[in-house]
Amino acid sequence: MNETRDLSLELKRLIIDTLELEDITPVDIDPVAPLFGEGLGLDSIDALELGLALQKRYGIKLDAEAEETRHHFASLNALQSLVEARRVD
Amino acid sequence: MTFVPLTRLPWRRANKNHRSLPHHWVDPISLPRRIDAWRHWLDDQPGGRWLLCQRHPEDFCAALIALWESGRIAVLPADDRPETLSRLAAEADGTLPDTPGDHSVSQHEAAALAYPEALAPASTAVVLYTSGSTGDPVRLAKRFDQLDAELAAHADLWPLTGSCVISQVSHQHIYGLLTGVLHPLCAGILFCGDESRYPEVLAARIQEAGDAGLAPVVVSSPAQLSRLPEHLPWGESPHPTRVFSSGAPLAAEHAQHAERLLRTTVIEIYGSTETGGIAHRRQTQDISWQALPGVQLSLSNEHLTLRSPFLEDPGSWWQQPDRVAPTTDGFELLGRVDRVVKIAGKRVSLDRVERTLADMPEVHEARCVDLDRADGRLGVVVALQDEAVPHQHDTRYALIQRLRARLSPHLERVAIPRYWRFVDALPSNAQGKLDRSLINRLFADLDDTKAPRWLGERHPDPSSCLLTLEVPERLIFLEGHFEEYPLVPGVVMVQWAIELAGESFGELGEFQGVERLKFQRVLRPGVRFTLRLTRRNDGIAFAIDSHEGRHCAGQVRLQAQGGGRHG
Repeated sequence: MNETRDLSLELKRLIIDTLELEDITPVDIDPVAPLFGEGLGLDSIDALELGLALQKRYGIKLDAEAEETRHHFASLNALQSLVEARRVD
Repeated sequence: MTFVPLTRLPWRRANKNHRSLPHHWVDPISLPRRIDAWRHWLDDQPGGRWLLCQRHPEDFCAALIALWESGRIAVLPADDRPETLSRLAAEADGTLPDTPGDHSVSQHEAAALAYPEALAPASTAVVLYTSGSTGDPVRLAKRFDQLDAELAAHADLWPLTGSCVISQVSHQHIYGLLTGVLHPLCAGILFCGDESRYPEVLAARIQEAGDAGLAPVVVSSPAQLSRLPEHLPWGESPHPTRVFSSGAPLAAEHAQHAERLLRTTVIEIYGSTETGGIAHRRQTQDISWQALPGVQLSLSNEHLTLRSPFLEDPGSWWQQPDRVAPTTDGFELLGRVDRVVKIAGKRVSLDRVERTLADMPEVHEARCVDLDRADGRLGVVVALQDEAVPHQHDTRYALIQRLRARLSPHLERVAIPRYWRFVDALPSNAQGKLDRSLINRLFADLDDTKAPRWLGERHPDPSSCLLTLEVPERLIFLEGHFEEYPLVPGVVMVQWAIELAGESFGELGEFQGVERLKFQRVLRPGVRFTLRLTRRNDGIAFAIDSHEGRHCAGQVRLQAQGGGRHG
């Protein structure tokens, strides 16, 4: 339980730091709200940056199935499931 | 098949490609059947200009060519935001649906369609949109002879025989249209796009090309090349013949990075929607730009003027709004002459961002700035009506959301400023200008995570200074202090007072001690506060206040080096 919460916070910080979201704090990120488009308002460049950061931090290699990648980036909770399932550190 | 111009319908002469590639690749031989389905659908529709916005290159090509073969013009919106589509649809004669429906054309029906005639070089092929220097969309029509002239130049410099093309950029723009779609069509080779914009997909497509014995050519942009991940198995795939980059200047380090990872040459194409391609270079070899074949350049007083067969009027000289410097074998680009910047290859008019914000009732004026940061994002300084000024995290966050929402119908998402600074009035120097050093000061906390965010200062008299500051949410001192309840440690408040006094009054000497220190209220991230500094004989007095009340006050004794006690 605690680990889950820690990872959620860690991912929020990763998003904020990677994308320089200076006006956003972890509590502003709703775990079920969309990260892209509406919601947090991230864009296509952010998606590329986030992909790089996930690889660097957790060794996660996104695969060539773009649809699947989009699914993982849908919300913080989706991203967390990806990290839990695929982290190699 | 060697190069066949558009006017001679290369897609009707495609030979069977003996290589087999997965279905996300477009094989030109498969197009005529799909083109005919669209022609059937268009049969009882009005002629004229038709709006076409299709992400997948095969659907796009089939519809585009059907419009052409039936004497229509394709209107290509630059983005697929609903506001853009509805605005352009109102000006067009029709909007193409996603598919022509169940128009699987029988042999019989296909025979009923007249075999298309060659296309007239002087007729309009496509209408494209770009944003002008004021930020308003500019409509540009391109004739077949303009497109064919440019495609012939590409075929001359970079022939595609034995290749296939993987495009990472949108074919709704001139560069992606010519390089990623039309050139492969004219060469009769396989190509793909759409999801290839993701690096993982690009790596997979390069591998597929190699497996089929084809040499891939990659059509990309600085946004993607600068973010190519190291970990993908580039080294195990065949190396591309070349990579194209256009849409914005590619930084030298990113050109090297891409050449090293992909083990190929990166060719940049410089141009604009108005002019088509102007020049090209491989900057790891030579930073000078060389004109494309047929393009005549004139360089004087930093201005670039050109004559080109790709322009609407090939006989007249065209003034390009970029500043240039001549070099021994070409020219260098120095920047725009107007207030237009490029973000992820999209033109953004800083004036337009400012005007749109200034239209809001709570905004006095706004100044949008290119911060020259690696991420390319914009900053904006917004002068607000008093009652709109945010005093804490929640109101600041809500205000930014509101301003972003206000901009989003007018700007693509990547162009919306990321860094916001709210002020009572735009700070100005002695000449009354918001100059670069003030801008640097407003955004200094982006890189200095120990500093408060500076939002302006006043000097009521020579011995006092009133600074407006904010506690950045990412202030390093907040970390690990109280995880659930972050606040600025008292010692940091005192440190800020001493540092900012040094900036306001000059060097005041060594720290001797603090007196009359009172902490009255915690200071939380996101809070806007004032720091009042008063010079005293033996140092400074300071007070930190916000709309909540007083947070902290005290006196700091400082002594100039070598001064004082010798007496």
